Amino acid sequence: MSELLKVDGLDVSFHTYGRRLHVLKDVTLAIPQGGRVALIGETGSGKSVTSKAILGTLPGNAKIESGRILFKGDDVLAMPRGKRDALKGTAFSIIMQDPLSSFNPVFRIGRHLDDVMRFADLRLGNRSSTAERRQRIFEVLRKVQLADPERVCAAYPSQLSGGMRQRVLIALSLLHQPQLLIADEPGTALDVTTQDEIMKLINRLVAENGLSLLMITHNLGVVRQMADEIYVMRHGEIVEHGPLSEIFSRPRQAYTRQLIDAIPPLYGANVTDQEPAAGDAIVEIDGVSKVFEDRPLFGRGHRHVAVNDVSLAIRRGEVFGLAGESGSGKTTVARMIMGLIRASDGKLRIDGKPVEEQRGSAAFRRKIQIVYQNPGTSLNPKRTVGQTLRVPLAFAGMRGKAVEDRIRELLLQVDLPDHYVSKYPHELSGGQKQRVAIARALAADPEIIVLDEPTSALDVSVQKNVIALLTRLREELGLTYLFISHDLSLMRNFCSRIAIMLRGEIVEAGEPRQVFETPEHPYTRALIAAVPVISDEEEKRKPAVSDEDRRRYLVDTAA
Amino acid sequence: MTGASMQENYLQTFAKRIAGFIGVLFVLSLMIFVLARVVPGDPARIALGPSATQEQVDAMRLAMGLDEPVIKQYFAYIWNALHGDLGRSLISSRPVTREIAALLPATLELVIVTIVIMTLVAIPLGVVTARYRNSWIDNTGRFFSIVGVTMPSFLFAILLQLFAAYFLTDWPIIGRINHGLSPPVGPTGLLLVDSLVHGRLDVFTDAFQRVLFPALALAMSGIGQITRITRSAMIEHQRRDHVLTLQSFGVPDRVIVFSYLLKLSSIAPLTIMGLEFASLIGNAFVVELVFSWGGFASYGLEAILQKDLNAVMAVVLISGLFFIVANIVIDLILLVIDPRLRLKETN
Repeated sequence: MSELLKVDGLDVSFHTYGRRLHVLKDVTLAIPQGGRVALIGETGSGKSVTSKAILGTLPGNAKIESGRILFKGDDVLAMPRGKRDALKGTAFSIIMQDPLSSFNPVFRIGRHLDDVMRFADLRLGNRSSTAERRQRIFEVLRKVQLADPERVCAAYPSQLSGGMRQRVLIALSLLHQPQLLIADEPGTALDVTTQDEIMKLINRLVAENGLSLLMITHNLGVVRQMADEIYVMRHGEIVEHGPLSEIFSRPRQAYTRQLIDAIPPLYGANVTDQEPAAGDAIVEIDGVSKVFEDRPLFGRGHRHVAVNDVSLAIRRGEVFGLAGESGSGKTTVARMIMGLIRASDGKLRIDGKPVEEQRGSAAFRRKIQIVYQNPGTSLNPKRTVGQTLRVPLAFAGMRGKAVEDRIRELLLQVDLPDHYVSKYPHELSGGQKQRVAIARALAADPEIIVLDEPTSALDVSVQKNVIALLTRLREELGLTYLFISHDLSLMRNFCSRIAIMLRGEIVEAGEPRQVFETPEHPYTRALIAAVPVISDEEEKRKPAVSDEDRRRYLVDTAA
Repeated sequence: MTGASMQENYLQTFAKRIAGFIGVLFVLSLMIFVLARVVPGDPARIALGPSATQEQVDAMRLAMGLDEPVIKQYFAYIWNALHGDLGRSLISSRPVTREIAALLPATLELVIVTIVIMTLVAIPLGVVTARYRNSWIDNTGRFFSIVGVTMPSFLFAILLQLFAAYFLTDWPIIGRINHGLSPPVGPTGLLLVDSLVHGRLDVFTDAFQRVLFPALALAMSGIGQITRITRSAMIEHQRRDHVLTLQSFGVPDRVIVFSYLLKLSSIAPLTIMGLEFASLIGNAFVVELVFSWGGFASYGLEAILQKDLNAVMAVVLISGLFFIVANIVIDLILLVIDPRLRLKETN
């Protein structure tokens, strides 16, 4: 196979306020004609910078120090600007990562598509009429399984679902039949079933049109389905490279090994079974519903049933997992348990007493605490770690030296050194920030902690450490966790019981072993089947899903 | 999982806004009415002057309904106001509405020209300073913005007058029009529009020359603010992914900046422009005086100085109405620009 694209000894540095940051060091990689190559690495490893260098969209303060990027033997870095621009969208194009922020919210989808096509046509010297472009755009939209292109084009970005927007992003990259497709973590912002559909779609389009694919991702499960060859990147360097099977079965570098090991297994010998808790029920929910209603000035109000007749009991000392996709109502359930919103119907009890009677009281607030998904936004950037931790302690009535002692104790509990007290969030890594958020939840000495996707914003290796910390804290302090997530492989190993939610209802509940080995509800089966896994054995043990069930429960696919 | 489908809903959103504004107007009227009644000074005494006898004043109080309970007076005032009657001036004893109606177009014209200048200067300046951030263009822009915001508009008015007096000796700077030109009357009362309707280019030129400097003086502070806000909105948005998307597919920079970014970045400055209206009317009080503009604002100033309470109330009420109408217009524009404001989540 000949090489379509070759990056040769690429060195890139960023210059900000007089400081030089060396972000790519001697990066060399090759994408063969028709090949599927994955570039994997954690946050800040330089994957996205590499793709931007290829596309020519590096920010103004980036400087290419040395190296070449050869497309079919021509160095694109040496090309005049016009010639290089002509390659955009036609020789190579990118599938952007975040389906919402990648569109301008005040322009219709059709306008984005038309402008991209119009200017690419102009560069190629083609004259095209609006009507003719419209036809071509509709064709591409149908190719990415958007059945109603007219409606899609007339919609604003916020009017489409995440899956549909991601499809439009794919369509955007296929408008001019490029030879190389660069996919920058496509679908990671989406639900697992939607992500699965998107992966399958990209794979099919690549195969049908004979494209080459450069897949940029941190998800090794995705890599297994999407690439034949892997480059592992760390701190701006390629540390390992080889065919997929070799990297997965016999990684040479410790770092690669670590990345693979950090992924929680879905099936097989390495799966951890958590002991079921034997304690009494600390949280009891009986037939709880939540209806959101808006009251317009005139006209008919609109009702939205977020949670419908949910019953569950969480035992003391348990890790109870609430799984489901976005909008399934899992966060609403947690908010009702915490007494942040009122249930429309049903009974909620904590420690045998109704939540309704306790909510708002200091004792209740101390009993149940929460750790949010994104520590980057849930910590106040203008407060030091110490100041953040002082707030719940002050509410708990602590004063003077006791506060300082408690802060030191908390930092010790979450494995952070003493002197972090005076650090600001921006000085911490993602994992460290989440540790601070956990310490904040622990400060009031709670019995129950709600973990709202506490690791989904973190890299896998960091996730592993945070989960280990949470496990240890539970044992040491006798905590009860309500763990909300859509990451089923993580839940398989971390939870002692799980419940699956779909459209506001619990469709299946039980111990993870039983739920994963013999899922009863077709939606559970579809959900498990969509989880990306890293070995063929696991893939084989996934439950089968009929096409009919897929259509019935995974509505987003081709609306 | 289905994405919640969103439907466009202009009418509902807009009706809510209008209802809110009517409430504001109501509260405003209540506040000024109470204020006018608690300030020292008997309106009847002011109307009749110091030489009137106590009997005359008492008779006047009765005629003006001042011995009724305040709440009753207020509702009578509102009822009359809804019928276009805001009482009689205590000084000239002519109906206030008629006096104001004669002066309003002059101020309206001044304010409209000010808004046009503000938009035409500030938004492009904001775009350019954002594009060439931290260059000499940006620094110059920043300097003028700060000067514009910090210097009071009457100072600009005086400086502009001095400038014109020294360097543009033929440029008319006082008053609204050369009455020797016998300007046409109607249909709008705005000289710039009426002169064009009647095909009187000489009147248009004269009126335009005269309005330019007072409008410029009034516009300065707004220009400063809006430039800065447009600039920061542009800078914030140009780091977003959607810009990267278009760049990745080779959509030219000028299209990204002047079409995609500008529309998105005009939301914040437009909102500010609505609020700017309040200080605009306040500043017009003084600027009109400096340029002998003879508009509604100088009428208000006169009324305040002479304690003509009925006129003051009318001026405040109409200024409030001005402000509210301007904000309704801006809200309407924002509804057109930003679909997120009119999209309502439904399932």
